[in-house]
Amino acid sequence: MAIRTRTVALLLGAAVVIGGGAVAGRMLFLPGPLDFAGGTRVALADYKGPSPIGVPAKLAHASLIEKGRYLTDAADCRACHTAKGGTPFAGGRPFKLPFGTLYTPNITPDKATGIGNWTDAQFLRAVHQGISADGTRLYPALPYASYALMPDADVLAIKAYLFSLQPVRQANLPNSFTFPYNQRWLMGFWGYFFNKDKRFEPIAERSPEWNRGAYLVEGPAHCGECHTPRTLAQAMNTRQKFAGGAAEGWNAYNITGDRTTGIGAWSKPEIEAYLATGHANGRSVASGPMREAVDLSFSKLTKGDIAAIATYLQTIPPIHSARLGAPAAFAAASHAQGPADNPIGKRVFEQACVSCHAWSGKGALVADAQLTAKKAVSDPTAANVALMVLQGTGPQTAGRPYMPGFARSYSDTEIAAVANYVTARFGTMPSKIAPRDVAKLRAE
Amino acid sequence: MLELSINGEAHHADVTADVPLLWVLRDVLGMTGTKFGCGIAQCGACTVHLDGQPVRACQLPVGLVGARKITTVEGVGATPAGAAVQKAWLDLDVIQCGYCQSGQIMSAAALIASTPAPSDADIDAAMAGNICRCGTYVRIREGIKKAAAEHHA
Ligand code: FES
Ligand code: FES
Repeated sequence: MAIRTRTVALLLGAAVVIGGGAVAGRMLFLPGPLDFAGGTRVALADYKGPSPIGVPAKLAHASLIEKGRYLTDAADCRACHTAKGGTPFAGGRPFKLPFGTLYTPNITPDKATGIGNWTDAQFLRAVHQGISADGTRLYPALPYASYALMPDADVLAIKAYLFSLQPVRQANLPNSFTFPYNQRWLMGFWGYFFNKDKRFEPIAERSPEWNRGAYLVEGPAHCGECHTPRTLAQAMNTRQKFAGGAAEGWNAYNITGDRTTGIGAWSKPEIEAYLATGHANGRSVASGPMREAVDLSFSKLTKGDIAAIATYLQTIPPIHSARLGAPAAFAAASHAQGPADNPIGKRVFEQACVSCHAWSGKGALVADAQLTAKKAVSDPTAANVALMVLQGTGPQTAGRPYMPGFARSYSDTEIAAVANYVTARFGTMPSKIAPRDVAKLRAE
Repeated sequence: MLELSINGEAHHADVTADVPLLWVLRDVLGMTGTKFGCGIAQCGACTVHLDGQPVRACQLPVGLVGARKITTVEGVGATPAGAAVQKAWLDLDVIQCGYCQSGQIMSAAALIASTPAPSDADIDAAMAGNICRCGTYVRIREGIKKAAAEHHA
């Protein structure tokens, strides 16, 4: 009896160790960014065809600073390293993470408060490995796991551009991380497992356009940092590559080839229009952090690079998002049909929304205002709908139609109600967002 | 040069396609019956009709109008629904300061043209986006019911 009990206990113990080891192994050893594509990885020098790295051909003879500017745009450094209303690249933008708030640092060439004293080697080490000039570890909010794919020449071109800017004296703000997250040295382990620190290697069997797209998407544009879900250890879960993640309260939707919940049904020109202008007719309008990425980064890239990105994205294997509905057809043109159990939501919709969006969801004035078929209206969290209502969206340049924010016009209860009305009327997975969820989003 | 059909007449405006229709009406063509309130499609003061549908002219780039027929408050009295609304408005003294009323009349005329006997919910759905700082809402509701009854009698 005793022996049997011991055997069982031992077997159980072994199972736990093996099972736990397997789970840990799965968590620690994730596929690389291009593993899905198969084929033969070749060193850049051995790749036959135009180089997939660097700047597009039309900038081949530009100055190092101009090349650096293009790559800085491609890497969208400006979005994070600029505070709201602040000087570009002087830092200070807050990022609320689960463990505290992080403020981005000043990366202008000021010697006292910026990176004016950094050597090339220090800059490379920060961008590739997440180690600051003084040796402290940086949090992977700086997407160094993606930037590690960029060759030294591209990173140093960015440095040359940054060093050509006016230095701005603006001290960095301290982060508010609590123990143990304030123990920066622990990030060393994170980097050991989750940053392979390997430069981009093209795949011999793929076209030059595909390889260029792969480089841009996986390296500088760092799409996966928001669009790939994270593991418990906060690494990009590349087994769910591009199946949808999050950024600053927004859901960054599925951009795999899935036809209903990804972008598998989009044509290549639609993907290109979306990236270059923030709007693909009938498909999607970029809002929140993606609007920023379009305005500050993608809209500055050449047509050729946008086409390359689209070519590459169209090869991402489809993954279906269970928590995202398929697009719906247009809603009824009459207010009388549609959700009847949400009078507050309907009242807000008829006051503030219908004159641009129409009861049908087709959009009453401009095509961008179509609600039907947008991912946000079939997202049962309604997070993006609520954030658009709070913050507004669209190009806020003079004279262009845009959506104003309603944070100061409506209460949390009203915004939750109208978000639920919108998902029920125009989507296929009605939401139940609560006023307290809206209150949290308000704080984003 | 853009050609626009407004109140049954052809008008020409030398503007870029992204200028809002409201600016073209008021500043370029001098048709100031249509009012500017908020500029962000939130007050309804700038409402005009495109092929009979009420739209906010302040957020509509003029280049998107195309061949659709524009009706403004200057011309709406020539339509049966518009005439009925104007008569009810005078009978009931709906107007106070008047600033919002071009928009109210345009939204109301579109509503009664498409809805024979609008219920309170129909009126809410069509009119909630037209704001009146003077608070004439009660008379507007009454005016719409009266105009609808006469128009569809
Ligand atoms: S001015 Fe157009 S809705 Fe207010
Ligand atoms: S009558 Fe004065 S704003 Fe409506």
